[in-house]
Amino acid sequence: MTKMKENKILTRRVGKYQPLDIEAYKALGGLQGLKRALDIGPESIIEEIKKSGLIGRGGAGFPTGLKWASAAKVQQQPKYFICNADEGELGTFKDKVLLDGDPWSVLEGIIIAAYAIGAEQTYIYIKGEYEKTAELWESLVSEAKKAALLGERILGSSFSIHLQVVRGRGPYIAGEEFALISSLEARRAMSKLKPPYPTEEGLFGKPTVVNNVETIANIPVILTEAAEKYRKLGVEGDPGTRLFSLSGDVKKPGVYELEMGSGTLEELINELGQGTKNGQPIKAVQPGGGTSALLGRDSLGCKLTSRAIREAGSGIGTAGVIVYQQGRSAVDILKGLLKFYGAESCGRCAPCRIGVTKMKEIVDTLSRGEAAADNLAQLRQIGKACVVASTCGMGQAFPLPVLSALELFPKDFETVIQKNPQ
Amino acid sequence: MKQFKMQTYQNLIKRSGVVTRENLFNLLGKVQDEFGYVPREVVRDLALKTGLAEARIYGALTSYSDFKMIPQLDDQDERE
Repeated sequence: MTKMKENKILTRRVGKYQPLDIEAYKALGGLQGLKRALDIGPESIIEEIKKSGLIGRGGAGFPTGLKWASAAKVQQQPKYFICNADEGELGTFKDKVLLDGDPWSVLEGIIIAAYAIGAEQTYIYIKGEYEKTAELWESLVSEAKKAALLGERILGSSFSIHLQVVRGRGPYIAGEEFALISSLEARRAMSKLKPPYPTEEGLFGKPTVVNNVETIANIPVILTEAAEKYRKLGVEGDPGTRLFSLSGDVKKPGVYELEMGSGTLEELINELGQGTKNGQPIKAVQPGGGTSALLGRDSLGCKLTSRAIREAGSGIGTAGVIVYQQGRSAVDILKGLLKFYGAESCGRCAPCRIGVTKMKEIVDTLSRGEAAADNLAQLRQIGKACVVASTCGMGQAFPLPVLSALELFPKDFETVIQKNPQ
Repeated sequence: MKQFKMQTYQNLIKRSGVVTRENLFNLLGKVQDEFGYVPREVVRDLALKTGLAEARIYGALTSYSDFKMIPQLDDQDERE
């Protein structure tokens, strides 16, 4: 068996320079993408991104080029560009590596994106818990102004751009596109029905593009290397690398950058993660953060591509791989997940607001050993209703681990029910 | 955390330039970081400056777990 290897593209500079030192960043090949971008102009940039086949890394997996194109074609000013650094998904901590380790490349990506869609005002919305990161970015913005990368007429071009660093203030849902936008408008962080999409009516009703940090970090790479070369990385329909956040019951958790399709879930866990903590076999894995469906032991041979993971019955989401070892009960896993999502539902739409509370109640009764047999059917029914009827990604996705656990580990549920004579 | 003084707040606003709806959320955050909470006087003042209803700002603030509406104990106070 070949040893699984990391392919460091986005993380190649992490830890190689002092985060505020722009000269060191240039010496390591930085700003080449931006120079080329300013040469070829907005339309060609968007063409290039489309050609690269880049897919958004924030969880929903929308093609970045298409998003930019639909914002660029709206003839209206102002437009906004937002870098979503509100990394709230459970088991996901990859963006922090880029924000702290190679902030200039993220900034370079933001500038290119804003130039491509014609946005002069940009924001970076940093998760509240990342306090030091937000401080670093405040300093980074003033360094960038000195280097004429931000401000009026950057690098002698006719393009002006401003960046505001905003710290999130708690809610998990603020990482969702529309909730993030309403948070920036100083409203409650709540999702809303689409369409219209933010690219038509976003921040303050103006065309807005929201991209994840990792997506943005790909932009300078694509423009430096040219789209054709970038496309050769990874697999057809899923190009590039991804940062996998590995956590849970593994010996060596961490962020690993892997080329798409370069190995299987099992290799990631057993080779890079060095296996489970207690040496027991793996029981289940969530491959795409806390809202992705559980995969059982049979699916561990699945390749690390969006498609293979989807076909196995889950989703790659934010690529936050959470490992559960043998010995954990599915009921306990769900209890933990639902405790979090129950506290974080924004309450805007009924299916999610009521559904998550009800499901949490049922799982809590299960874990106390007080549940009746028909509770499982209820759990399944409410879960399915939430998936169909919720407004945003959270409500549509949080029941997935529950539904998959009911399929994969029926015994875990039966044993707690049998305890109860009723 | 500093005790709230209207003067400190006004200096903070001055440093940030004009108050607009575009930087309102950020300003509220800065007030929170400075004093450990967002005083009622601040909400009133920012409502006047942005033309938004006081209730609209207050309502939004209370939905965020990291925004506090009353003074908080310092770590140090707790130890004493």
